[in-house]
Amino acid sequence: MTELKKNRKGRWDLPLFLMLLPMMALFLVVSVYPFLWVVKYVFYDYNGFAAYPVGLDNFKRIFTNDPIYWKSVIHTFEYAFLKLVLTMPVSLVTAVLLNQKLRGKSFFRILFFIPTVISSAIYSLIFFFIYSPYNGILNNLLLGGGLIKAPVDWLGNPAIAMISVVIVALWGAFGNYMILFLAGLQSIPQDVYESGDMDGASRVQSFFHITLPMLGPVLKVVLLLAITTALKDYQSVMVLTGGGPRDRTQVMFLYVYQLMFGNENATAAQLQIGYGATAGLVSAVIIGIATFIFLNLSKKLDEVY
Amino acid sequence: MEKRKSRLMGQILVYLFLGVLTIFTLYPILYVVLGSFKENQELVLGGTSMLPETFQISNYIEAWRLADFGRYTFNSVFLSTMVTAGVVAISSMAGYCFARREFPGKNLLYSLMIAFMFINIGSISLRPLFELAVKLKMNRSMWSVILICIGTNQVTNIFLVRGYMATVPRELDEAAAIDGCSFFQIYYKIILPVLKPVLATVALLSFRSAWNEFIMPQVFTMSNPKMRPLTVGVVALKTMGDGAAAWNIMFAGSAMSIVPIVIVYLFTSRYFMSGLTVGAVKG
Repeated sequence: MTELKKNRKGRWDLPLFLMLLPMMALFLVVSVYPFLWVVKYVFYDYNGFAAYPVGLDNFKRIFTNDPIYWKSVIHTFEYAFLKLVLTMPVSLVTAVLLNQKLRGKSFFRILFFIPTVISSAIYSLIFFFIYSPYNGILNNLLLGGGLIKAPVDWLGNPAIAMISVVIVALWGAFGNYMILFLAGLQSIPQDVYESGDMDGASRVQSFFHITLPMLGPVLKVVLLLAITTALKDYQSVMVLTGGGPRDRTQVMFLYVYQLMFGNENATAAQLQIGYGATAGLVSAVIIGIATFIFLNLSKKLDEVY
Repeated sequence: MEKRKSRLMGQILVYLFLGVLTIFTLYPILYVVLGSFKENQELVLGGTSMLPETFQISNYIEAWRLADFGRYTFNSVFLSTMVTAGVVAISSMAGYCFARREFPGKNLLYSLMIAFMFINIGSISLRPLFELAVKLKMNRSMWSVILICIGTNQVTNIFLVRGYMATVPRELDEAAAIDGCSFFQIYYKIILPVLKPVLATVALLSFRSAWNEFIMPQVFTMSNPKMRPLTVGVVALKTMGDGAAAWNIMFAGSAMSIVPIVIVYLFTSRYFMSGLTVGAVKG
């Protein structure tokens, strides 16, 4: 008893230190060290073997002389926007439907969540097969049904490659956000709907006048989560298109990865690690700004309501 | 009468919507699992049938024997088991310490952890970690992948455990202390068994993320293909330039990666979903 009391005043002792040591050691190595490393190498030209200090050259290059990077920034936002526009309504509608009395609702919940336990690398590979122009099943089905006349190159045609990538993202993500919305919906008390019913509100009316406003705070958190996740996605794009065709699906962090580790076209000798660190840091700041803007906008929305 | 009719129409629309989503969700999974039993020729020709003409298990035998998928499967199992054990041990200890003790620097440490969760710099941190591993001569060892995976998973899970600890009455600790248990003994004998439900969630979430990890192990196995987990092994076949020739092996490999984790999930879906909602909505 006395020991516990002493402890509450707060001091380090050996058992406490030992129990926290693994966590702190890993935290330092995995989170803090890479950050400090990046802050150092943005000022270097580094190819993996030799590093030369170059001052602010990397920043000069990224802000004045790298159209591919800025294209990739635009594509990242395009991807995130399309993913959100597709995923959020599907997730929300599914959640609302599965939150009412419905036969088989727990079956559907479990089913729709399945994609989230599969690696995005693997499901992207599967969609790569499905999208395949000549022996892919999608084209064969559409050709067989007479819906298209010639095979469509879903991932190779710059005009539709991005939307093909986003469909894959929808497949992987909607169940995840559905569960988050369901958790939010379950916190809305049932009697609000009952009184709405008594006033003769239709289902659609009660969705817009009860569900959406009362879901507000949860909606904000889920949107924030969805935006930041979408801006950081690059694993799926890497497997599906590698950023192609002609950089049409290149996103920020895939570009950074290719600068730091190379891609199929670049050998190890051409790595630009210092510049990659710069591009990564700038991208992280861009995501930070986007998050900040979203938080401010959603605060403004609160005042309107 | 009118009202009942529109109710029925509504009901039909609802099931239509859910039916379309069900097909959308299941189609790619069934396509690859059923396709993995097709002959390579049938896959290369394409066609519109999901079902194989004849069920062949030769793809699996070929993948296992010739394409080293036996080793990849072992690597995936080993990696995921070690990460799960590590995350459970570390997050339960740290969560317990954070919930029950005051110590100088506690708030600083906690806010640092949250801050670094937000400045998660994605692909950038792979390069410094890779170079560090090279310096320590660990870049060809599975342990660097395991440790990094534990490190990137631990923070969220510590929050989960700490949150759950708030529901464990302090009287439990105090009674044990009176009986002469030390700080560590209280954790080991009293707290750990009580934490079982939340640790089940922690274990499943970290198992899933280790099993599905792709880019990080890909970087660390570039020079040592024998160390690859399933995800990396399967996708590597796509870029190897074999093209359509390896479709059957990629199908079998994809199925080998998907089926175990989906089965685990189907038996434990409750824990998966609760972990997600506790972590995201409340945290």
